[in-house]
Amino acid sequence: MSRNKNELADGTNIADLVRIDTREVQMRTLEDREIYELEQERLFGKTWLMLGHESEIPNSNDFVLRYMGDDSVIVTRTKDGEVHVSLNVCPHRGMKICTTEAGNSPVHTCIYHGWAFRSNGDFLGSPIEKECMHGKIMEKEELGLRKARVTLYGGLIFATWNLEGESFDEFLGDAKWYYDLMFCRSDAGMEVAGPPQRFIVRANWKTAGEQSAADGFHTLMLHRWLGEVGNYKKEGAGSDLAEEMYGAEVSSPHGHALRCIDLARKIRRLTGKEPSELSLEEKLRILPPPGMTAETVDQLKNNLTDDQMEVLAWMPPQVGGMFPNIVFAFIYIPQPDGTVIGSMALHTYVPKGPDKLEFMNWVLVEKDTPPELKEQMVKQTLNLLGTSGMVEQDDSDTWPQMTISAKGPQGSKSTMKYQAIYETSKPKGWPGPGIVNEGFTKDDTQWHWWLYWLELMTAEK
Amino acid sequence: MTHDVEQSVMDAMRAPVAIGSERYNTILTFLYHEASLLDNLKISEWGNILATDLLYNIPIRHTRSSRDNAMSVVRTCQHMLDDYRSMLGRIMRLEGNSAWAEDPPSRVRRFITNVLVYETDKADEFLVVSNMLVTRNRFDDDQYDLISGVRTDILRLDEASYKLARREIILDQAVLGTPNLGIFL
Ligand code: FES
Ligand SMILES: [Fe+2]
Repeated sequence: MSRNKNELADGTNIADLVRIDTREVQMRTLEDREIYELEQERLFGKTWLMLGHESEIPNSNDFVLRYMGDDSVIVTRTKDGEVHVSLNVCPHRGMKICTTEAGNSPVHTCIYHGWAFRSNGDFLGSPIEKECMHGKIMEKEELGLRKARVTLYGGLIFATWNLEGESFDEFLGDAKWYYDLMFCRSDAGMEVAGPPQRFIVRANWKTAGEQSAADGFHTLMLHRWLGEVGNYKKEGAGSDLAEEMYGAEVSSPHGHALRCIDLARKIRRLTGKEPSELSLEEKLRILPPPGMTAETVDQLKNNLTDDQMEVLAWMPPQVGGMFPNIVFAFIYIPQPDGTVIGSMALHTYVPKGPDKLEFMNWVLVEKDTPPELKEQMVKQTLNLLGTSGMVEQDDSDTWPQMTISAKGPQGSKSTMKYQAIYETSKPKGWPGPGIVNEGFTKDDTQWHWWLYWLELMTAEK
Repeated sequence: MTHDVEQSVMDAMRAPVAIGSERYNTILTFLYHEASLLDNLKISEWGNILATDLLYNIPIRHTRSSRDNAMSVVRTCQHMLDDYRSMLGRIMRLEGNSAWAEDPPSRVRRFITNVLVYETDKADEFLVVSNMLVTRNRFDDDQYDLISGVRTDILRLDEASYKLARREIILDQAVLGTPNLGIFL
């Protein structure tokens, strides 16, 4: 068949699914098997994907199983401390090499016929050496597990099948300056509280993916309870949730997105003073980033520039995502006693077919967060985010409905609209790079997410 | 503290309270009553049977080798980790106007079986182990989300009835097949 690669079987041009002039995306994108399969190749086969955190595999020969798109991979730490990611498919006949989710082993032996592999994926040999059961046609070097390209960033493990493609830093682009505020700010760095929560949502992965690209607006309605009975309930009556929608949003031509939310109100509440009356150090000590303390904030200057510290004390990134399927929450949660406790979590939305995703939720703490605070943070995070999280329960109940909408013959032709456009630009004096807009949350970041989706989906000429 | 429950199960295995005895029957009645409160969305009434020192947690399950099977229950990160105060917060949310994840509510049925009761060091506290199968159905789905597991509870005698002081639920799925735990197990 000599069809145009950017055309679907029914003759639809992929580019026509996204209307640039009116900023609309056809609902069909959320449901179509053919689009899903193209995404596996063109997105999940190409971009950097987050697989976990190196604190999950602290010792040599530790491993965990993860997914890159629909492919199972083994994430290992070898004796030299390096992290490797190998396809969990036996090159002999295709059995899964590793059938346990985590463990420690210097050798991974396939339980089918016994081909064995080192933790870096290299082929070791097959049973009954003298019989040479792996044959003589191929060299041992050719019989190892397929290896992905790996990079570590702030302890997070990223991998890609795109061996020659852009570097991770290029992939992050200008957005890296902001991610550094979260992942590369302390001396000791982050660690996971434990392995990720995992659960299935019967929804297309992009319902969660596009929301991760910093849909701030939905908080107001979908998470309205926060302002009614939750932590953002105002003394007296009403909610001040809308106030939390103001800040600055960072977009990226690579679909990354960060919502930087102004801390001024929290600082006023904690001190009774205007932030402008306080020095940078005072602000950071009064309201340290999640997991840090008045003592450990001194470390920030070892790792960040003055400009970065200024943003961290003023409008730090609190929610957002990394293309294609990552969301982060680094939030400052007001407590009943007036203090603030942070919560940090990262999710990936692993595609499991056009109408199913696996929600993976890692809870993060700073390595040197004091144990008591760590415990409070983990508890609070589990209470708000992930499986039983009172906030995210509402999200996971919404995405399946969007996916069902996309199945209707009329619904599939309906569009998602991203027409609330910023008419501002960077806040005055903003020292950070990238596409930045100030004010009430708008649709630009999510629109940029779709534009990058489209760019990758139509990249093959 | 979570290990205490497992340890106390081990210790208690010696002396289960006889099935059909008065103690057993009152506890079984409590469990059935509790399930019926939750099945019938009497959430704040359910809140009344919680002890103020409640601990309620749902560990993560991991697929581990037989040799490492002890590590298949993970309590570092969990699916749920609550105390009395946070549980009241959940109840308050559900009783409010905008708990969309359970509004409209799922149709849920809790099947509690294999109940074993053990005495503990404390005369007024009983260790209760039960199997649980929960069916959950939402909207016009034709399928059910199934949630199965074993619950280990501490029930504390409180005048004529009991209070739930401790519950740990070990689930049977490494990857849960329900989109959230917006319901209580
Ligand atoms: S399939 Fe793995 S050894 Fe044969
Ligand atoms: Fe949300």
